[in-house]
Amino acid sequence: MRVVIADDSLLVREGIASFVRGEGIDVVAEASSPDELLAAVDEHEPDVAIVDIRMPPTQTDEGIQAAYEIRRRHPDTGVVLLSQHVEVGVATQLLAEAPERLGYLLKDRVTDAADFVGSLRRVADGGTALDPEVVSGLLTDPAEDSALQSLSPREREVLELVAEGRTNRAIGERLVISQPAVQKHVSAIFNKLGLPSGEHDDRRILAVLAYLQRDI
Amino acid sequence: MTRAMPLAVGASELTARPRVDGLRRLTAPTRSPWFWLALWIAAGAAGVVAQIPVLTAGGPPVPLDAVLHNLSGVSFVACGLIAWRRRPDSAVGPMLTAAGFGVMLSAILDQVDSPVAFTVSLLFGELWIALYAALILSFVTGGRLTTRIDAALVEAFVVGLFVVQLAVQLFLPDERNLLAVWPDAGIADALVKVQWSVLAVASLGVVVVTGHRWRVASRPRRRALLPSLGGSLSGVLYSANLVALIAGSPSAVLVTALNAALLTVPAALLWGLLRSRLARSGLADHFRELGSLRGVRLEAGLAEVLGDPGLTLAYRVPGEHAYLDGRGHAVALPAPGADRVVAPVDRDGRELAMLVYDASLEDDPELVGAVAAAAAIALDDARLHAESEDRLAELRASRERIVAAGDAERRRLERNLHDGAQQRLVFVALQLRMIQTRLETDPAQAKQLATSAGEELSRALEDLRELARGIHPSVLNHGLKAALDSLASRSVVPTKVSFLARERLPEPVELAAYFVACEALANVAKYAQATQASVRVSRRDGVAVIEIRDDGIGGADETVGTGLQGLADRVAALDGTLRIRSPRGTGTVVTADLPCAS
Repeated sequence: MRVVIADDSLLVREGIASFVRGEGIDVVAEASSPDELLAAVDEHEPDVAIVDIRMPPTQTDEGIQAAYEIRRRHPDTGVVLLSQHVEVGVATQLLAEAPERLGYLLKDRVTDAADFVGSLRRVADGGTALDPEVVSGLLTDPAEDSALQSLSPREREVLELVAEGRTNRAIGERLVISQPAVQKHVSAIFNKLGLPSGEHDDRRILAVLAYLQRDI
Repeated sequence: MTRAMPLAVGASELTARPRVDGLRRLTAPTRSPWFWLALWIAAGAAGVVAQIPVLTAGGPPVPLDAVLHNLSGVSFVACGLIAWRRRPDSAVGPMLTAAGFGVMLSAILDQVDSPVAFTVSLLFGELWIALYAALILSFVTGGRLTTRIDAALVEAFVVGLFVVQLAVQLFLPDERNLLAVWPDAGIADALVKVQWSVLAVASLGVVVVTGHRWRVASRPRRRALLPSLGGSLSGVLYSANLVALIAGSPSAVLVTALNAALLTVPAALLWGLLRSRLARSGLADHFRELGSLRGVRLEAGLAEVLGDPGLTLAYRVPGEHAYLDGRGHAVALPAPGADRVVAPVDRDGRELAMLVYDASLEDDPELVGAVAAAAAIALDDARLHAESEDRLAELRASRERIVAAGDAERRRLERNLHDGAQQRLVFVALQLRMIQTRLETDPAQAKQLATSAGEELSRALEDLRELARGIHPSVLNHGLKAALDSLASRSVVPTKVSFLARERLPEPVELAAYFVACEALANVAKYAQATQASVRVSRRDGVAVIEIRDDGIGGADETVGTGLQGLADRVAALDGTLRIRSPRGTGTVVTADLPCAS
């Protein structure tokens, strides 16, 4: 898998690069600004661009703007946005249009090698990677939700992983259960929440997020 | 003469402080209670002595007129003493009192069986009438004769009652008359007729003058003239009586009417004098209203209280010698000697407006003073209201700036955290993970990574310390001096600190002083191109002064830069002031005066 890394902090950029290289990922280019990033993506057409949200010149949301531009120019390139802190509101906006090939993660997640690389692969394969912190923010907000309260603890765990964009296989690995068992839980959850079942892996996150956000 | 009465007004009272004799009443000496007691006893004694023939049975019957006459004397003295005491500024009181004793003089002297008493009684017994005439003529001016006619009329009375009387007595054949040099009844009779004629004409003169004054007077002046007009009625009776005497057919009815009139006149005069006091008690409600009236309605309210529909409130144009009325038209102040006069309405020595009112109201300076005071309060209130609106707007703006500065500060802190400590910690986390994986495969690199991670952690800590100092300098816990010393030691430009305040300053003052020093020294480092700087803290008279001085290029502008505006707001929040002197070429001095209650 080929990636481009964009972060204006050399320290962090180098850190991430040497770290993912250690996991066998090919870092084809590094960028310290949105312009360098777009140029690198144009040149290398990587599988995934790892992009820090805050970059020069204004240090606000240059990374997000760059992600839109990458998606416009290279629909097959996935974007994983990294940030020092994640916000439910930002995630909602990002995922509202199309959740495919998109990740939104805390920068710290980089250090969990297996998980971070898993997220990169998921996004490269057309899936979604949403930070657990965003998901738990979504799940704790509607505390009064009786349907959510009707879920068993295990079902809740599965729901969180689904909302993070994970596949049945990834969920099974994470929870150390079989894929049919995961599918059983997912069906039960969708049934309890009143969601249309049989959704494809990479679309069901939308249904779950839509459900979780309906009162927000 | 322009009779202006400056009325300076205290905030808490409706009393005017007089500066010119227009308000003599308030400055007139207060007399001791013994003075009044003595006069009252004298009045009582005179009244009793004058009435001895009535009180003692057995004597010859006393005619009703004589009784009335003596009673009117008592009335004069009593009313005179009350007026004297209540209105010590007016001569009316003493004049009434003197006239009263004069009325009783002959009645008392006539009881002494002596040629001297007889002669004195004859010569001076009726001289009080001149005083009475003067009283009627000068009542509205507080006992001062103001016109030549007035003076001439009073002189005519004195001539008739004293000069002609003296002449009469030179010829009057009576063994008790010690002055009878050339006793001749014929000449004496003729002279008496001359005397009567003079007095009759003078009396009519008084009546005519008073009547004319009343006819041409304004409304408030008419009210003031009313007692005089009533008093001059007795002048009509007096001259009618004299004419009857000259004609040789004296009328008992006229004499009785005259004496009855004399009995009531003092009360009328007293009422006139104290009228404003009586009026004031009924005006309390109006006064209460005045304070809340504005503009044209205030003028109308003042006019109503003073009973002068022509009253004008002329507002002083600030900084000019010009006046405008409530509708914005220019007002010309009355010329000296006009029938309208002015009283400045001022507050704390600042003239706010002029009250232009009828001259006759000067007779009641207390009322005018109170009205001017009420006007001053209303006007000052309006001014303060406008001022407080301005201050409120300034406060609002400053509060907005403070909030904006707080927001900017929070943004700056977040940015610093994000770019500094957070980045470094992410890096350290990455490195630790790498160390974990290399620990066995490549121990040498793992060791290298650990060293680098340790250094990065130290830098993250340093970042956090710096940041924390910006939020609240914990060194201030050790006092402003310690904080300034460490600030100076970090300063790029060599900085000397002199700390002359002996005791600790209040915490907000220390914090403000510290931030002033921080910002000023930061500016010195950035712009001043200075070779050295100094910080000086002193405390005098409950004000802490911090001064930051450099020897740089100067030319700093207080109006530029949010940093200095933020400082000014911080200092203003403590009621302090921030000054910046920065002439080009001679360095910059930033001074903050910070009041601190000791």
